[in-house]
Amino acid sequence: MNSVHKSAYWFLAPAIILMIIIFGIPIIMALGLSLTDYSLGNPGANFVGLDNYEKIFTRSSYEKMFGATFRYVLVVVPLTVGLGLGAALLINSITRFGDLYKTIYFLPVMATLMAMAIVWQIMLHPSIGEINRFLQSGCEIGWLKNLLTLSFLGFEKMDTWFGRSCEDGMPNWLGDKDYAIWVVCFIGVWQGFGFNMVLYLAGLTSVSRELYMAAEMDGAKSSWERFRLVTWPALGPTTVFVVTISCIKAFQVFDIVEAFWTRGAGPSKTAYVMMYAIFEKGIKQNLIGIGASITIIFLIFVMMITLVQRYLVEKRVHYS
Amino acid sequence: MSGIFLKKINKSFGNTLVLNNVDLEIYEGEFLTLVGPSGCGKSTLLRILAGLESSDSGEVFIGGADMTKVKPADRNLAMVFQSYALYPHLTVSENMLTPLKLRHLSTLERFPLIGPFISREKRNELTERVRKTAKILKLESFLKRKPGQLSGGQRQRAALGRAMVRNPVGFLMDEPLSNLDAALRVHMRSELSELHKALGSTFVYVTHDQAEALTMSNRLAVMMDGNILQLGKPREIYENPSDIRVAEFIGSPKINIFSCNVIKSNQVEICGFKIQGNFQHFMDKKISIGIRPEHLSLTNDRNCIKGIIKHRENLGSDFFMHVESPNIEKRIILRVSPEEALNLQVDAKVNFNFSQKYALFFNSAGKRVEVFDPNNITNKKIA
Repeated sequence: MNSVHKSAYWFLAPAIILMIIIFGIPIIMALGLSLTDYSLGNPGANFVGLDNYEKIFTRSSYEKMFGATFRYVLVVVPLTVGLGLGAALLINSITRFGDLYKTIYFLPVMATLMAMAIVWQIMLHPSIGEINRFLQSGCEIGWLKNLLTLSFLGFEKMDTWFGRSCEDGMPNWLGDKDYAIWVVCFIGVWQGFGFNMVLYLAGLTSVSRELYMAAEMDGAKSSWERFRLVTWPALGPTTVFVVTISCIKAFQVFDIVEAFWTRGAGPSKTAYVMMYAIFEKGIKQNLIGIGASITIIFLIFVMMITLVQRYLVEKRVHYS
Repeated sequence: MSGIFLKKINKSFGNTLVLNNVDLEIYEGEFLTLVGPSGCGKSTLLRILAGLESSDSGEVFIGGADMTKVKPADRNLAMVFQSYALYPHLTVSENMLTPLKLRHLSTLERFPLIGPFISREKRNELTERVRKTAKILKLESFLKRKPGQLSGGQRQRAALGRAMVRNPVGFLMDEPLSNLDAALRVHMRSELSELHKALGSTFVYVTHDQAEALTMSNRLAVMMDGNILQLGKPREIYENPSDIRVAEFIGSPKINIFSCNVIKSNQVEICGFKIQGNFQHFMDKKISIGIRPEHLSLTNDRNCIKGIIKHRENLGSDFFMHVESPNIEKRIILRVSPEEALNLQVDAKVNFNFSQKYALFFNSAGKRVEVFDPNNITNKKIA
């Protein structure tokens, strides 16, 4: 009996040692650094206790950091998962051009985000950008303007977003603090849902055709009923994976913010996401201590999501 | 009135013709088996009957009503699939409850949270029906388990239960036993037959296993290449196959086929022996004679068909001898009793014989032909 136990540890050893080297030690080091005021190049550091954490939870710039990060995560995760599933179901249901659509939706995933950010920056330019020019042309076509300003329903020009924009000029997407984070969210969705679509497409191939037939025989007449009865439960394991990955990726958003606003996370820091904060504090300003404490908080969030995931979703997911 | 009638069903997948003008009438309450080799169109025919697949042309009548364009859910047929197709995330009782819920509860009553609240009475009634069905199938102790926690036989029963709970007009079964192990398959055969008797409803059963077809059905339809070759009672099909392909498909081991020449209008020759009969339509044509292994008998008479045993097959209650005979291309299989088999080893020389009345004659197109005067069939041995 004893020898069985011993051999078990031997088998586990390679994985455990790797875990300790790659995860354990860096996390403990970050935890240690987060309690100091260490900067790179300094001969030593002072122990400051929880001062760094206190700053993070009291200062307004960090409040903006949490605001921007949660906005991004709460918008991007549901939309990338939903659109990924929707696109996968649509592609799965058509017999022709499936590969074409797959390629179109997957292209943004493969593209270099830095290069794409430059393209988006040009397109979103307030005066010469394609997007504003396109929207502006809508103001000049009478019936379209009526439709978009909802004036056919009796709304005044200034009541609707489109009407106001026509009067006062189209928004400065990247320079206006009302829009900046939402533009980042939009690009996050555009860039991210293709990957989820591919994961869902893989999940859909494993759903047995006979199950759909059984559902049809059992009286599931609408495709929604068949989706609820067969597809959605069968995609359970895929969904757990997709949601977890999407959450972690959303918390890690950084490159698009860095590319759009090299001098500091959007107008009045409205796009000051966590990863950017870690980069700014820890690397740019060489405040390793505070950078480490943001990292620890970041880790705690990701941890919590993973745990909530396990308890809430996995309990109800069936692995066949 | 709840008979099923399939009329002139045609179906092709691409350029492949799968069903060729198939007509089939299934009587109310009968156990009809569609049997045939893989790819003969039997499963497609069943799916067209279920409404899961649409035919290119033809009509489906169920209980006297034209159901050709009706959705599967409204045909009131239940189906048991080869893979059982149980919903893996639901327990057995939830699986059995699903068809009832989808039929008897409105969309609002199925709505999460408020649904169970406003339809409690109805739901209790449905649960009671599930419990009763489970009792018949001896599934009570598995109701709380998920399909993944059941053995093959239990899953089979659960799938049957899901089909049974809603009292359908007919049961459609697509090779439901082929995923079970051999012993269980034999056991389930008798159980299905008993269930059919107890329920009294129509069963349409698809299988490639001729033993299942012979043991369970009231009638069986032998299908090949998109056609029903013969439809009849199991015994009739076995004893009187109308086509050489039916004769070869039904019966294990396979029927022995001898090809022989018609030498006179009243005589054919087989291995040097002559059979008298009316052959005037087959002059100078090939004719095949089929004889089942159990109708060949060993004899001590040296003047009979000779052969050498090449292989012995021991089935316990019977032995099958594979015999090579000069002038006959294929090996001949004959059945002998274990006592006879004792002194017959491989390479032993044997003589065998058959009685004329068991010989089945097929013309060059494979169709069955009668060569004997029906009033005067004798037990005469050929030699």
